[in-house]
Amino acid sequence: MKNPFSRRIDYTALDEGQLVALAKEDKAAFGELYERYLPKIYSYVYYRTGNVHDAEDLTAKVFFRALSHISNYVEKGVPFQAWLYRIAHNLVANWHRDQGRRKIIALDEYVAYPLKTEAPDRLAEEQEERTQLLEAVRGLPEDRQQLLLLKFVDQMSNAEIGAIMGRTEGAIKSLYHRTLLALREEMVAIQDGDRKQWTDGKEG
Amino acid sequence: MPTASEAQLRNLLDSITTRLQRGDAVDPLIRQADEEQSDVEDIFELIQSLHASLTPMNPDQEYAENLRANLLEGRPGVAGRVRQMPARLSVAAILALVAGCLLLMLRRIFGSETAPDVPEEAVATPL
Repeated sequence: MKNPFSRRIDYTALDEGQLVALAKEDKAAFGELYERYLPKIYSYVYYRTGNVHDAEDLTAKVFFRALSHISNYVEKGVPFQAWLYRIAHNLVANWHRDQGRRKIIALDEYVAYPLKTEAPDRLAEEQEERTQLLEAVRGLPEDRQQLLLLKFVDQMSNAEIGAIMGRTEGAIKSLYHRTLLALREEMVAIQDGDRKQWTDGKEG
Repeated sequence: MPTASEAQLRNLLDSITTRLQRGDAVDPLIRQADEEQSDVEDIFELIQSLHASLTPMNPDQEYAENLRANLLEGRPGVAGRVRQMPARLSVAAILALVAGCLLLMLRRIFGSETAPDVPEEAVATPL
């Protein structure tokens, strides 16, 4: 049903709770929620899938699912943002199950920001390091990947991450610590593997 | 139960990350950490790499606008799509639909009467 006053409402001035309440009957309010969360959800899905095509496809599914279920959404300690991320997380998990494999993020799509003043060989080195880092991140269990993306891409606090992942702040802090240690080991293993490959190639 | 030093390291890494994300100075924390923990420097480098690499990605503008339109205006159904077609194609689509329905109806009405009876001998298994 369309809100007869929708033209008079300044949706940008409303907080999340007000928008969610309106969005159950007013699509324009949902449009404002979409504007607020599209970049975050897209980034999250992009890093989890590793390519633009699937990120766009899954992001669209997240918002269509949210739109069709928002009338049933009741805030019971789970903020709307957390609810949206849970939809995204479930869809990405299904996508990985269907794919049955893990893709590596394409370097050309991913590395876009290096400083232009840097020397080309330094840039290449940095790109290589970044690719290795992403490879290591994508080798982590799902919950750890999710934690890193929410922390670094979305810059969320431990409390916000906890709401999405259904854990306490303390548990998130602890998981973050273990994730960093595991990632460090993974990076060492990747770098050792690369070094060995290079040495074997030279000898062979 | 984590040991005291583990808990300390956990809090320190969390503080370093938060300060880095806010753009605040992290050197004092690193120095403090160096005195207490020997391996914090390489973990700090890792945090810096994550901070630099995991940056927000923006969707294509056209994609974002199309998705918004699809969400708010709704996807056109079959009738909507036919209406959006050029006039000639719409007429052809409607005619094809009507012809299809007629064919189905005719089959239902006459199908059972016109179907030839299969003689029993024809389906009998040869000895």
